Formats: sequence, structure tokens, C-alpha cells
Amino acid sequence: MRQFNQSASAGLRIIIVGCGKVGVTLIDQLSKEGHDITILDRNPEKIQEISSLYDVLGIVGNGASYSVQKEAGVDKADLIIAVTESDELNLLCCTIARRVGNCAAIARVRTPDYSKEVGYLREKLGLAMIINPELEAAKEAVRILYLPTALEVNSFAHGQAELVKFKIPEDDNVLHDKAIAQLDRSITDHILICAVERDGDVHIPSGNFRLASGDILYFVATRKDGRDFLKRIGFQTKQVKNCLIIGGGKSTYYLASLLISNGIFVKIIENNPAQCELLSVLLPKAVIINGDGTNQELLKEAGIQDAEAVVPLTGIDEENIMLTLFAKQVSHAKVITKINRITFTNVIDNLDLGSVIYPKYIASEAIIAYVRARKAASKDSNIETLYHMFNSQVEAIEFHVSQNSAATDIPLMDLKLKKHLLVAFIGRMGSIIIPTGKDCIRKGDNVMIVTTHSGFKDILDILD
Amino acid sequence: MNVSIIRYILGYVLKIEAILLLLPCLVAVIYREPHWIFFLISAAIGAVVGTLMSWKKPERNIFYLKEGCITTALSWVALSLVGCLPFWLSREIPSFTDALFETISGFTTTGASILNDVEALSRGMLFWRSFTHWIGGMGILVFLLAIVPLSGGSNINLMRAESTGPAVGKLVPKVRYTARILYVIYMGMTVLQILLLLLGGLPLFDALTTSFGTAGTGGFGIYNTSIAGYSPYVQWVITIFMILFGVNFNAYFLLFFGQFKSALSIEEVRYYLLTILAAVGIIFFNILGTVKNVFEALTQSSFQVASIISSTGFSTVDFDTWNPMCKTVLVCLMFIGACAGSTGGGMKVSRFVLVVKTIGKELSSYVHPKSVKKIKVDGKPISHDVVRSVNVYFVTFILVFVISLLLITIEGYDLVTNFTTIATLINNIGPGLALVGPTRNFSFFSDFSKYVLMFDMLAGRLELFPVLIFFHPELWREVFSKFSIRPRG
Repeated sequence: MRQFNQSASAGLRIIIVGCGKVGVTLIDQLSKEGHDITILDRNPEKIQEISSLYDVLGIVGNGASYSVQKEAGVDKADLIIAVTESDELNLLCCTIARRVGNCAAIARVRTPDYSKEVGYLREKLGLAMIINPELEAAKEAVRILYLPTALEVNSFAHGQAELVKFKIPEDDNVLHDKAIAQLDRSITDHILICAVERDGDVHIPSGNFRLASGDILYFVATRKDGRDFLKRIGFQTKQVKNCLIIGGGKSTYYLASLLISNGIFVKIIENNPAQCELLSVLLPKAVIINGDGTNQELLKEAGIQDAEAVVPLTGIDEENIMLTLFAKQVSHAKVITKINRITFTNVIDNLDLGSVIYPKYIASEAIIAYVRARKAASKDSNIETLYHMFNSQVEAIEFHVSQNSAATDIPLMDLKLKKHLLVAFIGRMGSIIIPTGKDCIRKGDNVMIVTTHSGFKDILDILD
Repeated sequence: MNVSIIRYILGYVLKIEAILLLLPCLVAVIYREPHWIFFLISAAIGAVVGTLMSWKKPERNIFYLKEGCITTALSWVALSLVGCLPFWLSREIPSFTDALFETISGFTTTGASILNDVEALSRGMLFWRSFTHWIGGMGILVFLLAIVPLSGGSNINLMRAESTGPAVGKLVPKVRYTARILYVIYMGMTVLQILLLLLGGLPLFDALTTSFGTAGTGGFGIYNTSIAGYSPYVQWVITIFMILFGVNFNAYFLLFFGQFKSALSIEEVRYYLLTILAAVGIIFFNILGTVKNVFEALTQSSFQVASIISSTGFSTVDFDTWNPMCKTVLVCLMFIGACAGSTGGGMKVSRFVLVVKTIGKELSSYVHPKSVKKIKVDGKPISHDVVRSVNVYFVTFILVFVISLLLITIEGYDLVTNFTTIATLINNIGPGLALVGPTRNFSFFSDFSKYVLMFDMLAGRLELFPVLIFFHPELWREVFSKFSIRPRG
């Protein structure tokens, strides 16, 4: 098998154990990127269904069993990803795979019991990564609650730069109908608008691109500069002081403990008395209310009108969406909706829910970023990280510039860059530069570019 | 339904055929025959139509099992329509129906001919006739999947519709490399056979055409006596390769990577070889008294058994003159056929294995009504869906068989002729008994019967459902509505 695969394909050999929500998202993404994927699940129907949709090899069986792993070719695999329902099974899968083959292993572990031991487990079991979608989703929610005007906040370059997504409101008069080059320097200083979404199409804006209200903008900046920018164009940028969480599952625990440690007052409504007691032990500073979170009277009693942030985290997506719409109606709170299962992203986008987080995408994105980096490392490529945005319409690529070339030491305005491409930031000596036309790329820099092109391998690819 | 992807793939199939048609053209040029022009014309027609059809790339690459089946069936029809042009244009086979019959018989690896005198055909035509076997053996769409980068994972549906056997699996995670591996094995074995035949003193042309016929398990010979004129060495080489091409190709894949144990433990292959042994044994003892010596009896019996069970259809003797016992065994072998995942036809050994096991399960449920027993093959439990589809396959097969039989009986030939005609064609073998015995041909049937038989050959090669899906009314409703709601088609 080895000879055929190596001569024929450039992808990695990946085994995915468990075909749940995250599993399928991973299969979808990774098979598009040309990897050789073998999937393992106990449910034959699931395997049948997925292997007729995606170009993967399906094997039915218990992923933690040695013989099943052997059949899936674990001894020749590059990577095993265990994303079954059970944390213990995932860890066992990876442990066995590490012993049998020489592959990297990624396990999903999401029970709060293990969350404090993740580092220890990872090191002792020799895993490449332990992923906790609920915790990652909570972290993203916290980032948004820090900057409530933003729809989405992603961190780049080890947290030094943030990619902030926000929507220009209908009554805006600072940005509406202005070309980007016309905007006052005092407004756009230290930030860079790198992508604009309008009517479902994504544009990489040039200087004469005219903004309009209703556009969704992405800009990069450091955390402080981003906040200043939003303040200058007239947005509220204060972080929230209190937060109402509806539903008391795993993600509630993670979100509440992160919020509390940042000094935000948290109220939790949960239906199950036993779960309430558990939460009250784990989160002594939170107010736990036992009751049905979908009961309007109870919500009013809990003070939903005065809440600065509302996060519905019930296990049912439809309930979350209803609660979001209700909260938007009765209060001015910042609302974050968590969607677990539903795949009607287009419909959800049209509902104008505000910030929506998808734990399964967050988890799979982290894994895919790892796979991309590994693939890049195996080949002659200078890509450090690669992100896909807007359903893969846009790529954000971080290059390391290891030598002088035609792209270095020339001011950006004199470089012949490809169309639909922007240099978003330059990381130099541990700090971030948001470039203007006068800046140049230097040897040793890390350069982030944003583009609608794909297949870039080297910094020279940005030149026309 | 995604009509544009069907159109696109059909276009590609025609383009590939156009390129393949250049080979017989070259042969005709080498033999200084004037017929090369007809191959060139046919290739040009294929290329032009194919290019037009695949001009516009489809917007969506997604297709489901339905589209896979339709594409496969239409590809085979398109392939045959263009493939029969050289015969027809050159007037070597003057009737269009006959030319189409001969071509479908070639592509479906049946090897049933309407020619009274094969030797009268020009070299180029003979080469093309045998080459169609080789193309049809592993399948044109598998070839397409191996070379054309069709993105999207749903192309397993194409392979599923074209490959043989109840459950089509992959060898490696990607369809493309699975298809490539299959073709590499297929080509490797063909080349090996060509070399062995050359060693036996065969001229290159004979070695090539005979190997194509064997590899695709087709059975068009280039002499009126089929293989009978060749030396025993050549006959034995062909016998062994006929058996080998009837084996599940997964076994070769496993052998190739040194997994001898798992290759030999494939149940289907073991039962296939056992069946061959048993059939050879029975026929050997039955014909022992009528031939010169033991060696000849063994050569003849094993050649005929290998030829029928692998669905090749070469012959070295007129087995129509054998005693009824031998003939019955051969007719039974026609139905059993080769292994799933081989180039052979028939109903496939694996289906019979499953059915016999199902019967066993049913029987034991009479003894212990509440017993729970899961059917296993190769030590793995078989899902109920596969068992059900195999049962339905049997019933459908019988139904198609009986309806075809009734349709050709209108002409009034005897039952043995009609029965073995359908049996040999729907199982893609070639010769039958009585009027369609190994020394005779199918030219006497009326055009109507020939179209029925062409349908049977296609249905048999594609394993019924990809062809039968065209009888589903919903499909047509979808096609019509598709065209009526697109104002600027």
C-alpha cells in the first residue's frame, strides 16, 4: 500500500475514529484537501452512508481494538484522530495507536473531570493534541464578550493579533459609502480591513473599494488598536459586566468559570436539580437558578431585560435559536448562540442572530490547522499556519521569510502584488506591524497574507 | 438530478474511446488494409461529440447512486454506438443491428458473434473486436476514474455501478488509486499472458487478440475454430489465465503486498476453485471414453470448464456433442460465474455463497425458531442490507431471464436453443448449446430478438439495476421536469 500511496498522492494517511458531528466535519474538510482517510465506527450504516458521500475507506469496528486498528493500517498511518462520544475510548484509541504505529495522535477529551489534567495526559500518553470543543467554544465566547460589538474574534500569531469580524450598522455614517482610501488616517491607523462580505460574496478590498452599511468587515489589529478603532467609529466597546447563561451542561461550566475568573457576574438557569447542585459546587461564585430556561416568566424573573450578555447553551439548537431571538427582543444584551448540530448555515446567517459559535467547526479547525502545518512541514514549504475563512473562499496564510528574495526590502507599494491579495500584518521581533505602503518585508519576518487565491507555497507566490 | 455531470462524464468516455480507436487504426495501417480510414472516421466522430459534451464543466460535482447508475448505463450504450461504427461503415458487417450486437457483445465481454466467417474479417477489425473485450473487462468508467481527476467523494457511486459483485469495496482510501491499482494488476497480468503465448510460438497478432479476449473474459476468437487450432501448451496457458482473471482482484492486491494468508483465506476464491475442481472432475470422467488419452480429456475438460465459469467463452471442442451430464454441468457453471471484483460475468460465486448461507440460516430457524444467527463471510458479519439485495438480485435475475426467454421464443426455435441463448448472453459467456453451440453463431435471430439479447448482455454486465433503473417512472419525471424548468437550456 505504501508504494502506491507515496508515489501517487501527497496527502497524509489519516485514520478518523468516530463519525459523529466533529468526525464528519473533519472528514468533509480533510478529504477535500486530498488526504488518504480511513474511517472507523461501530455503526455499519454510518460507515456505509459516509463512504458513499466522501472518498474515504470505511471500516466497521471498535476503534480501540488492536486488530481493527491494524486493519485500518495504523502501522502506516501518519495521524489518528479519535473523536468518539467517549473520552476514555478516545484516549485508549490513541494510546494503542501510539504503541502499534508511529503516528501522531489527537484525542477529543471534553469531560470537565479531565480538563485540568489535559497537559499531563497529553505529555504522558504522547499525544500530539487534546482537543476540547466545549472549552474552545467557551474561549471564543469569552473573546466576543470582551468586545461585544464584534461578531467574531479570532486570535492569530499566538494571540498577538486579532481578526475581528463586525457588521456596519444600518444607521452608520462614518464608514457608509466611503472608499477605504478616503477614510481618515486617524481612524484607520494601525488596523487593516482585509476582507468584506457583501450579499454572500467575499471581496479582498483595494483602496478604492466603497464600503456600505450592512457589509460585514474583517480587520486585523492588536487587541488594543482594534478596540480603539471600534471606539473611534462610534461603537460601544466596554466589556460586559454580567452574563446570563441558559442551560447547565459542560460548555456552561467552561464558559462560566472563564467569565468568573475575569470578574464577570454569572447567572445560570438549569432545569435539572442534580446538575444545579453539581454546578453550585464547581462554581461557588455563580448564581444558579433551578427552573425551565424556556419559561418566559422565569427568564424575566432572572432579569433577562437587564442582562448585558445572554448565552443560551441548552443542548437543543432550536431552543438556543428561539432563546436568542427572544433575548434580542426583550433586551439590549449581547447574545451568543451555540449551534451544535444544525447544518443549515445559510438559514442561520439570514436569521440575524448576531454572534454564532459552532463547537464542531472550532474543534475541526484546530485539528485541520494542525494537519496543514504537518503537511507543510513534510514538504518544501514556508507556510507556518493556514486558515480558511468564509467557507474556504478566503485563505489567510502565515509565511516565514527565511531568506532575501524579490519580495523583501522593497516597500509594499512598489511590489507588484497579485490582485485580491493583502498583506495583513508583519510579525517582526515579537511585535506586530500592521503594514502601510511604506513598510517592507524583511528576512526573518513572519508575514500574514489574506487572499482568495489558493495553493500558495512561498512568499514569492504573492507577486504577480 | 445532476444532468450536467452525466453529460460531462459521457463526453469524457467518448473522448477516451476516440483515442482507443486509434490502436486498431494503427493495426490496419501496419497490415496495409484500406480500413484504417473507418477507424479514423469513428475516432473523429467520438472525439467531436465527446469534446462538445464535455466542453462545459458541470457546476456541481456531486452525484449519487442514481446518477452513478445512469451514467454507467448510458456510457456503455454510447461506447457501443461509437464502437460499432467501424464495422458498419466499412460494410464488413453490413447490418447496423449486427454491428451493434457484435460491439455490445465485445464490450460486455460476452463474445457471442453474429459472424458466420470470422476469418473473413480484416486484421484491424479483428483487433478492435478483441480489444473491446479488454476495455469492457475492467470497465471504461474504472479507467476514467483512474486517469481523470473528478473531485468529490461521490465517484465511488460510478465504480459501484460498474464493478461486479454484491458489495464493492475499496482497496485504498481513494477511489482514484483503487482504480489505478486495479488497472495496473489487469495490465500486468495481460502482458504476462501475452509473453507466455509468444513463448508458445504464437504470432504477435494472435497473442495480443487472444490475451485481450482472456483478460476481459470475453471470448472472441480470430479463427472459426476458436482456440482449437492452437497447441496444448497455448491451450493450457489460456486455461490458467481464464481461471486467474475470474478471481477477485482483491486477492491479487493482497498477494502483491505479501499478505498471502489473507489472500488465500478469501472464502469466495476458495469456493470458486473448488467448483472448478468438481466440474472438471465430473466432465473428465464423462468424456474419458470418447477421447484419445487421459491428457486430452484433462485438457479439454479443464479448458471448457475454465472458459464457461470465468464467462470467457473460448472453446477447443464442440461441447454440444458431449453427453447431457457434461452439458448440464456447463449450463450450471454459466449461472454461477466468476468471483465478484473480477472481469468475469455470471451471477458471481459470492452471491451463491451468501444465498447458500441464507438458506442454512433459514433452515436452522426451523429447528430453533428463536435462534439468532448472523451470516458471516470471511469471518465478518454481513449486514442485512447486503443479504436482502442479493436475494432481490436473484429474483430480478430470474424475472429478466424469463421475460427475455418469452420474447425470443416468439421466433419459435427450440427450448434448449432459447434457454441457453439467454443463459449465455445474460451471463456474458458466449457459446450456448444446440443452434447456438460453440461452432455456431447468433446471426439467425431476427433484429427484434437481437435487441432483446443486447439488452440482456448490458443488463448482465452491469448487474441488472443500473440498466433497470431506466424503467423507473420517477426518473423520467425528473428528467422531463429538469428540461422544462430550464428556459435557457
